Amino acid sequence: MKPDVTTDTKWDAQLRKGTLELVILAALKGRHLYGLELLNLLHSFETTKITEGTLYPLMDRLKRDGVVAANWQQTGDERPRKYYNLTAAGEEKLLSFTTRWRTSVADIEYLLTNPGPAKIAMSEDR
Amino acid sequence: MTERDQIHAYLKTLSTYLSRLEKAEADEVIREIESHIYDVLETQTETADLETILDGFGSPRDLAASYVEHILNGTPPPAGFKAIQTVKKGATKSLYYATACFGYIISATLLFLAIYKFFDPNAVGLWSNGNGESVVIGVVDDDPERKVDILGWWLIPVFISISGSILYVTRRLLTILKAAI
Repeated sequence: MKPDVTTDTKWDAQLRKGTLELVILAALKGRHLYGLELLNLLHSFETTKITEGTLYPLMDRLKRDGVVAANWQQTGDERPRKYYNLTAAGEEKLLSFTTRWRTSVADIEYLLTNPGPAKIAMSEDR
Repeated sequence: MTERDQIHAYLKTLSTYLSRLEKAEADEVIREIESHIYDVLETQTETADLETILDGFGSPRDLAASYVEHILNGTPPPAGFKAIQTVKKGATKSLYYATACFGYIISATLLFLAIYKFFDPNAVGLWSNGNGESVVIGVVDDDPERKVDILGWWLIPVFISISGSILYVTRRLLTILKAAI
């Protein structure tokens, strides 16, 4: 069967929406990036491409939530840029998101590799 | 329109829609986006194209909406705040309709007088009694006695342009008020 392109795109968009915050926090882990750098970084992966109009308002919200910090920097004659980095609260949030994400991936992976009709073992036996 | 003008126009519209934010916050948003646009244009010259960049940001109205979203439905408001918001919204709404009525009626009246002047030149005018104690504008049965018609035929272009200006100002005001409803 030919894959349904529209459904895939819709699904991609939904998945991206749901994981966006995790993606941003992960991208900023150990990095100090300004908007354009962050955007280019996300565009270097197939499933994390987002638009400017999504990124900037989101960064504004994450900053208000206290998970990222921002500061303006200017080097030499270059244009001043607003750099973002994770705060301690951001690191913590990333950690808990990471745990949930890995559990979720493992659960889905288990379902994918164990099709019916065999019964699925209850969680304590897996 | 040069690229610079286009960027300026985009940011200006955006800043109008960001009026709900504190000025410093709105300025920072504008500054960051401006920095981004010029950065892309200057550093990624082979792939950069202003249309594409602005498309990526979306329309100024939608972009601003994502920035002010939290004000409308973000962090839970303190008790009693909702009532204030409702009252504020109600006030803006009445102001919207009052502005619309007032502006359109005045504008239409002036336009009507200007057109009426064609058909009955002596009945329409802007009269003064000579020493400025009273002024009469409008349609009257007879040319008021001892009064001077200040504009004469000039009334037509003058009233039409005032009517047009009022119409323009009203529409601008309504656009701004609409964003706040």
